[in-house]
Amino acid sequence: MGPVIGSGSISFSFYQQKEDKRMKKKVLAVLMSTVMIGSLMAAPVFAAENLSDTTEGIAQFEGLTANEAYDFQIVVKSFQSTYWQAALQGMDMAKDELGVTYTAQGPASESDIADQVNMLNSAINGAPAGVGLAACDTSSVLESLQAAVDAGVPVVAFDTGVPEPPEGSIVCTVVTDNVAAGEVAAVNLYEAVKDKIGQGAPVRIGEINQDNYALNIQQRGLGFINKLIELAAADGFTVAMEGNEFYVNEAEGAVEGDADIILEVRVPAQTTVDLCSTEAGTILDKEDTIAVFGSNQTAAEGLLVANDNREVLGDTIVGVGFDAGTSIKAAVEDGTFLGAVTQSPLMMGYYCIYALTAAANGQELIDVPTDGYWYNAENMNDENIAPNLYD
Amino acid sequence: MTKKRSIFTQEVIVGIVLVALYLIFRLISPDFGKYTTFLSMMDISYYYALMAIGVAFPLITGGVDLSIGTGMICYALAGGCLIRFYNCPTGLAILVSILFGVGIGLANGVLISLMGLPPFLATLCTCMITRGLGSVVTGSFAIPWPTAKQDNGWFHSIFKITTADNLKLPLGLLWIILLTLIMQFVLAHTRFGRYTISIGSNKEAAILSGINVKFYHVMVYMVSGLFAGLASIAYAAVIKTVQPGTGAGMELDAIGGAIVGGVSASGGYGTIYGTVIGAYVIIFLKQGLPYIGFNANMQQIITGFVLIGAVTIDIIKRKVIK
Repeated sequence: MGPVIGSGSISFSFYQQKEDKRMKKKVLAVLMSTVMIGSLMAAPVFAAENLSDTTEGIAQFEGLTANEAYDFQIVVKSFQSTYWQAALQGMDMAKDELGVTYTAQGPASESDIADQVNMLNSAINGAPAGVGLAACDTSSVLESLQAAVDAGVPVVAFDTGVPEPPEGSIVCTVVTDNVAAGEVAAVNLYEAVKDKIGQGAPVRIGEINQDNYALNIQQRGLGFINKLIELAAADGFTVAMEGNEFYVNEAEGAVEGDADIILEVRVPAQTTVDLCSTEAGTILDKEDTIAVFGSNQTAAEGLLVANDNREVLGDTIVGVGFDAGTSIKAAVEDGTFLGAVTQSPLMMGYYCIYALTAAANGQELIDVPTDGYWYNAENMNDENIAPNLYD
Repeated sequence: MTKKRSIFTQEVIVGIVLVALYLIFRLISPDFGKYTTFLSMMDISYYYALMAIGVAFPLITGGVDLSIGTGMICYALAGGCLIRFYNCPTGLAILVSILFGVGIGLANGVLISLMGLPPFLATLCTCMITRGLGSVVTGSFAIPWPTAKQDNGWFHSIFKITTADNLKLPLGLLWIILLTLIMQFVLAHTRFGRYTISIGSNKEAAILSGINVKFYHVMVYMVSGLFAGLASIAYAAVIKTVQPGTGAGMELDAIGGAIVGGVSASGGYGTIYGTVIGAYVIIFLKQGLPYIGFNANMQQIITGFVLIGAVTIDIIKRKVIK
């Protein structure tokens, strides 16, 4: 049985009320089955699978109705991956339930930081009832967030939190616990390869991150790195860092020089699959590589493209992915990937609209952690996991 | 007295640079010499090389086509949509993608030739249009094309085949070589090719000598669109999931490849074989620099300097000719 992250009886009762009102909402049913199973399931195989406690965050929306037919602006990172489409699907569900509307926009790619800031500024200038923001670069949006405070526009951060935002700007953050998400990948990957470590020559573990400026990718990447260092240390192994300077400098507990494990982090010039595949190829080609982690959908798909010719994942190298999408799901199913971590973008989108509505009503909010799961070939068709595995 | 032509043409120099790059990367990083690395490099190269072949024609006329990068993604999204949402046979979807490319090429040609828009402006407009159109066509959805293992994924074997011994062969390279030879022949030995060069050398003279410049201008951009359409199929075969909103900037690699390969930045001269060799220099840099420890930003800086070098050779060459 697959592990469940978050979701308990309070969220279930919340959904039950919603069900009475709008029983025919298909996607709600999907979410309901998720939380129902979650509340019934026994403890997961790996402790890290329970990424966060979602109950309190969700409970604050119990019985929520919109005081007016609010119109919100949503600024996503891009529409590059199907991940964002799943988030919009959740938003559609929530807007129908609450009788509000929203307009979503996003730059062409997650690297187009300036474009996103322009869109955010335009959105705030339009004085909407609220803005939902998934920031490409969290430091670049700080001025815009101050403008939102000045204009009295509440902002809900989803997918990616904004560290140290201007006071009063971010009224609620709806995100997966990205540190824990990276950690669960490290726990599962380490378990699969630990017998190969300390056998004489050092071994290499790779990590492909699509960037080093988005908070969620940073947290996920460092969550993986620091957990791996911790697990290795517990077994008496040392880890040395190589590659991208940001991740090398931020890693905690790594050693300089010789080590049992070389942890190499690669970041492409732009957030595209083909550039991620080039970076992934350099790691897959190294003789001492035993495992690789791709920390989001773009990075994981790049890893799979690089593996097309090499065919080493699932054979001599353990691969771990993140998020879903057609090719990642197929790779998990056929054993190319040991498994992957999926978030619930649908749930994120759903609660983003709920949080915006509550904020527009004047309600004080607490942050909403959202579900996340480790999935593999055995559990990916379970009722609690399959709905999160978007195409 | 005829001047003896040096054998060290830009195409030859760039060919030497290509070989040198390969040897340097291989020497510094043995992993770069692996057959699987070569296969991956070839996979990525097909769509860049195809775009470069196509865009060489507008460049030789003194124009440019900025729409090929976003266009390629747009055509791949349209074809992928037909397969995914309308159960369209793969062959028909491929045909639609290619014809879509030809159509946008026709639009570029009409805007430039008949409406008098500067090529830079006209193709910048279609670049924006195709970038947005790809998202509109798909409802902003990323579109996965069928995988090689699926029944309708046969198109992958156009670019790569696996032998009974499980050896993968980069069949796409053969198509690139074949298309290079065909298009070089078209450029050098057909009326269309000669007029393309004439228009780029001296447009006024071409008009005075009775060449239907408007017609050939349209044709040139249709060729560029055709190859962007072909590139979209290569892209879908390699990347598999096509993401709307992407593709911007890829045209610069293709254009850069053509310039590196000796196509004159101001028109009037160029070869297709030089263009393809130049495109492979860009691809080798993109693929090889990570192997020798250069990070993403350094890759772009080095590629920029290579382009400066190529354009400088072009300028010197022109001064010598004068």
